Amino acid sequence: MAGAGAMTISLAIDTATSRTTVGIIEDGVLLFEKFHEGATDHGRALSELVAEALKVSGPPDVVVVGTGPGPFTGLRVGISFAHTFALARQIPVVGICSLDAISINQPEYTVAIDARRKEIYWARYKDGVRIDGPHVSKPAEVSDYIIDQYPGALKLVALSESQNISEPMYLRRPDAVPTAERT
Amino acid sequence: MQPIVLGIETSCDETAIGIVRGRTLLANVIASSVEEHARFGGVVPEIASRAHLEAMQPSIQRAVSDAKISLRDIDAIAVTAGPGLVGALLVGVASASGLAQGLGRPLYGVNHLAAHVSVDYLTHDKPTDPTIALLVSGGHSSLLQVDDITGSITKLGATMDDAAGEAFDKIARILDLGFPGGPAIDREAAKGSATALDFPRGLTTSNDWATRPYEFSFSGLKTAVARYLESTPKYVRADVAASFQEAIVDVLLLKALAACKETGINSLVIAGGVAANSRLRAVAEDRCAKAGIELRIPSPGLCTDNGAMVAALGSLMLSAGRPATRGAFDADSSLPVERVSL
Repeated sequence: MAGAGAMTISLAIDTATSRTTVGIIEDGVLLFEKFHEGATDHGRALSELVAEALKVSGPPDVVVVGTGPGPFTGLRVGISFAHTFALARQIPVVGICSLDAISINQPEYTVAIDARRKEIYWARYKDGVRIDGPHVSKPAEVSDYIIDQYPGALKLVALSESQNISEPMYLRRPDAVPTAERT
Repeated sequence: MQPIVLGIETSCDETAIGIVRGRTLLANVIASSVEEHARFGGVVPEIASRAHLEAMQPSIQRAVSDAKISLRDIDAIAVTAGPGLVGALLVGVASASGLAQGLGRPLYGVNHLAAHVSVDYLTHDKPTDPTIALLVSGGHSSLLQVDDITGSITKLGATMDDAAGEAFDKIARILDLGFPGGPAIDREAAKGSATALDFPRGLTTSNDWATRPYEFSFSGLKTAVARYLESTPKYVRADVAASFQEAIVDVLLLKALAACKETGINSLVIAGGVAANSRLRAVAEDRCAKAGIELRIPSPGLCTDNGAMVAALGSLMLSAGRPATRGAFDADSSLPVERVSL
């Protein structure tokens, strides 16, 4: 990351939800943010939105990407793209918990992302700090959660000053039964 | 200087990066998650997809280093767009898109099956097409007529049930030979007799030859082997492996050579993971020599899934003046072989 005072252009990407979100932030100012809605469209949408985003500013200095939790297939599209784009440009990638990047204007709240299979990914926040989670649970086990909000580019980039998660947050093991345990 | 193309392959359990300059192979890096799948007796898509994401960046970096180039030297990117496991393909396509956009280079979304055939261009001077191609792997068993590897491929036939490699895996499992079954059966068969047992050759009756000459079926063979093992407690494992392998090899080559004869194309390329089978290679050489057919089988390391084949097809596309894939595209898990590129 560039030090204080230097101009920093960040490319923000999140594919942890049914939305593909792309933004460009220059020194804390949002220059571009667009999303595409469609749970199976992440690959195509991301490529198109990034092409559009790159036209509004100079070349990015850093890629900030949501690392979930979120449905695996879409989540991996954003992370894969972020990593190779950054590799090509020789710039760093910063990973952010996607739930943290959902802006809710309340002192204390719980946010959730659809995890499919009738479950949700969720985390609880107090005074802007995550105090519980992320977890994956049945909705009935979580009280008063907000699920219709999405990670935003500005918050992804703001959080990149203080966190960097290198691995996707799957929170579930792959479904598979070893041959020896099959009946 | 000929263009440099980087190819990315993630259709199954290999994260593979190849780099070619024209038709010269510069790097071929393969990271396989096969060991993680072994205890499940087959490839688990989610495990494969997670492994692709982990292996992608280090594999690209290693390939670039092996090729003694820098990423900026790459003129185009090619990626397997299908067919394959959709979650696995998506990691490759997204990675390729990121790389192409990051570098500002064209991106070719190409067909996995066509790429398997095109890898032959890296090892031979003369162009391969027109040729008949027998593509045999864990996921595919197809007989193709390749008139132009960059744009005109016709499917003559394919398997109606299991892929040949799948049959190897299943028989290896019941013989307790482990996963993947192909190399295990190949090794075991070397100790046995190929003529000890007469297992069925699927779809080779006169009616089959009249109505579906280039289709394959291996499920009857699988059942016949399983029945034989049940009824013969003291079976000789090496003989079963060798005779089973012989039945597969025999039927694959009967149909491939029939296709050569019928089309008048005296060239046969055998590709895909099963093309690494030593018995298939030996019998193919023998029969093609007798029939006057020029046989081409890539080296075993280029038969199984690899990135060099994707780079090779991309390079052929580029030199044939074929346009790169326009705009953004998605992986297509059931991409037909006739669509060589998107």
